[in-house]
Amino acid sequence: MNNHAIVDLLTYVELASCLVALCVMQYRRQISQFKPLALLLITRVTSFAILMPVLRMARKQLTVSEAYHIYFYVYWASYAIEAILGFFIIYSIYNLAMAPLRGLQRLGRLMFRWAAGIAVAIAISMAVGPHVTSTKFIIRAVTQLQQTQSVLTLCMLLFVCLAIRPMGLSYRSKIFGVSFGLGVIAAADLVGAAWLSHFSNLYSLYNIVTGSAICITLLIWTGYFAIPEPRRRMIILPTTSPFLRWNQISLALGDEPGYVALGEITPDMFAPAEVEVMRRAAVKMNYPIAN
Amino acid sequence: MKLIARIFALSLVVTGAVASAHIANASQPAVGARVSAMPTPMCPPDDPNGCGIGSTN
Repeated sequence: MNNHAIVDLLTYVELASCLVALCVMQYRRQISQFKPLALLLITRVTSFAILMPVLRMARKQLTVSEAYHIYFYVYWASYAIEAILGFFIIYSIYNLAMAPLRGLQRLGRLMFRWAAGIAVAIAISMAVGPHVTSTKFIIRAVTQLQQTQSVLTLCMLLFVCLAIRPMGLSYRSKIFGVSFGLGVIAAADLVGAAWLSHFSNLYSLYNIVTGSAICITLLIWTGYFAIPEPRRRMIILPTTSPFLRWNQISLALGDEPGYVALGEITPDMFAPAEVEVMRRAAVKMNYPIAN
Repeated sequence: MKLIARIFALSLVVTGAVASAHIANASQPAVGARVSAMPTPMCPPDDPNGCGIGSTN
């Protein structure tokens, strides 16, 4: 069995695994909770639906040039969409993990938006350079975006791993399962980026390794979505907990503030009803006010 | 189960950190590809051989 045949087999397994994972998510009514993940799987299935026939039709119904043009642009466009959806998946996982601590959730969301915005700007600016063709720009920008997303994903996995107990979650929860699967993809992506420049053929050992990694990930996701997860535990924190303190501080941040009037205040600044309230209060307190 | 999951997750993080350090120190910019079995089009779109598309070997 040569590389070509193994890559073909893995491609079919991957497509089937994507469809099974989507069906299980739909059956368990988890699509609304994990919408970006479902969109990622749908993007993958759609790109497969275009790329696989193009590969089959190359040198037959389509010329090499036509087939490769279609393949190149559909591949990199879907890769870019997947990289962006990756950011949304991390965002949704963070939201779900931090749901009991609303204040910290809000603070983290704000930080994440800034980090993601800066990452996208850096990815685009690093892709621009002297003698860079549009093709190289696309490849570099998408690669940079994906690498940033992979680093963020691994940070998220580390966070979920460390904060799983304080968040009331367990290792059987879907939040951990999805993060774990994303971590496998992120690690494979980063290792692949360092390795891929050694290959210039469409069918190489790289495809076999990454194909196996994605099939394992899809299997993990299907398993986590198929098996009912344990109920989230109630979080009990000591009153001195820094988690609780920071949560209270974060809840207060961004609230509409109260206002204090300073300096000279004359009665004509107030509405007649307000003046009447103050007059009655003054009468009650035996404190005369000026008209 | 808990320990295995934790060790595996941490090993993924360490692998990713080592790989990203390697990418940062590489002499030429690294090129990524989708984590998928689908072949990666690494050649420019005007490659006369189409990067070997449609070939049987």
